[in-house]
Amino acid sequence: MTHEVIRHLLDDYVTGELTEDARGPVADHIAACEICRAEVESLKEILARAAELPKSIDPPADAWLNIRAAIERDKSAIATEHTQLERFWRRPYVLAAAVVLVAVLSSGGTALYMNSRDHDANSARATATNQGTESTPASLAAFTIEENTYLRNVAVLQDVLDQQEASLAPETVARLKASLHTIDEAIFEARNALARDPANKMLIEMLSGTYRQKVDLLRRTTEMTRGS
Amino acid sequence: MKTSAVASDTIGPLPSTIGEEKAAALDSIRRAQSGDVDAFELLYSEHSGRIYALCLRLKAGDTSDATELMQDVFVRAWRRLSTFRGECAFASWLHRLAVNTMLENARTDNRRNARVLPMDDTSRLAGAARSSGVELKMDIENAIATLPKGARLAFVLHDVEGYQHQEIAEQLGVSVGTVKAQLHRARRLLRERLER
Repeated sequence: MTHEVIRHLLDDYVTGELTEDARGPVADHIAACEICRAEVESLKEILARAAELPKSIDPPADAWLNIRAAIERDKSAIATEHTQLERFWRRPYVLAAAVVLVAVLSSGGTALYMNSRDHDANSARATATNQGTESTPASLAAFTIEENTYLRNVAVLQDVLDQQEASLAPETVARLKASLHTIDEAIFEARNALARDPANKMLIEMLSGTYRQKVDLLRRTTEMTRGS
Repeated sequence: MKTSAVASDTIGPLPSTIGEEKAAALDSIRRAQSGDVDAFELLYSEHSGRIYALCLRLKAGDTSDATELMQDVFVRAWRRLSTFRGECAFASWLHRLAVNTMLENARTDNRRNARVLPMDDTSRLAGAARSSGVELKMDIENAIATLPKGARLAFVLHDVEGYQHQEIAEQLGVSVGTVKAQLHRARRLLRERLER
């Protein structure tokens, strides 16, 4: 190894990161080369001085006060955000708007579904035939379990809502009932369609989604009335 | 047998003390994670000295920048406490957060990217050290502060803080070769400046 090559290895030599094979020739060169020897000594001194530097220095005394103030601001901002959000959802017209939106989505989705039902049923039948007969009953069985859970949740939430109905504006209650009625009709239609076509996965998905909408609407309404 | 009894008597209480300290630290972390600011203050008291020393060196001895960075680190630590799962030491987690915060701040503040502190200004580090009551090796501290940013980062993290090349490369998003080259450059510049 030449002097120039070895000079580039001196850092690793001093920090002990040089491989055992390279260490011998580098050590031999250092013993014979005054320039490299001086460089090694200088490197060792720098590393020793770096190692002696204090690992801890006291920060300014008021630093914690600034940090604490920033944390308190954070906490207060989060609390304000939550309060504003709660207040927003408690407004009767927001609740009414949410109910209307769910109703529109439910009836729109149902209409869209009913229009394309024949086409989808045919596609699903073809898919079921292609995939064999085992996967579809399994999905239906899974859905039946899921449906029981939905029905239990709906019953519990409906009970809670019945008790809290007095705290809602009559107009909101009327809209909520209308929305639930629309969702129930969609469930009824999809359930009948599924009875005629149990292999239709799209129907299962549709029905499951409509149940989720109903549970979600009931849950949100009970949460809002609980908070008001 | 006697020797081992003596040894046992001598070192016996130590593990228990360490165990108690660890348990107290973990308790502070858990309480802080659940929103207890007083518990977080205990963590601050324990770790702020090391984090401030690191910030001071990363910020080339500028006490104002270093204080700002350290405050930023602890506020971020508070916000991200829930992500600390105890897979590494809390001190290591904070250190990593400090370096990442410094890098993120630097990326959003182009004015400071190419900053090299002039030799005359490095007296600020001496002031910081004196005010904190710590006797620093001022000559090398000042020399470190004059290094170009990349070389300074590599030197502080490797030669002062003891990180491995690979760890530094990962944190800075560069190759191990680049870290080694920056270290080589930092040491060469320090030699030149200290031998003046």
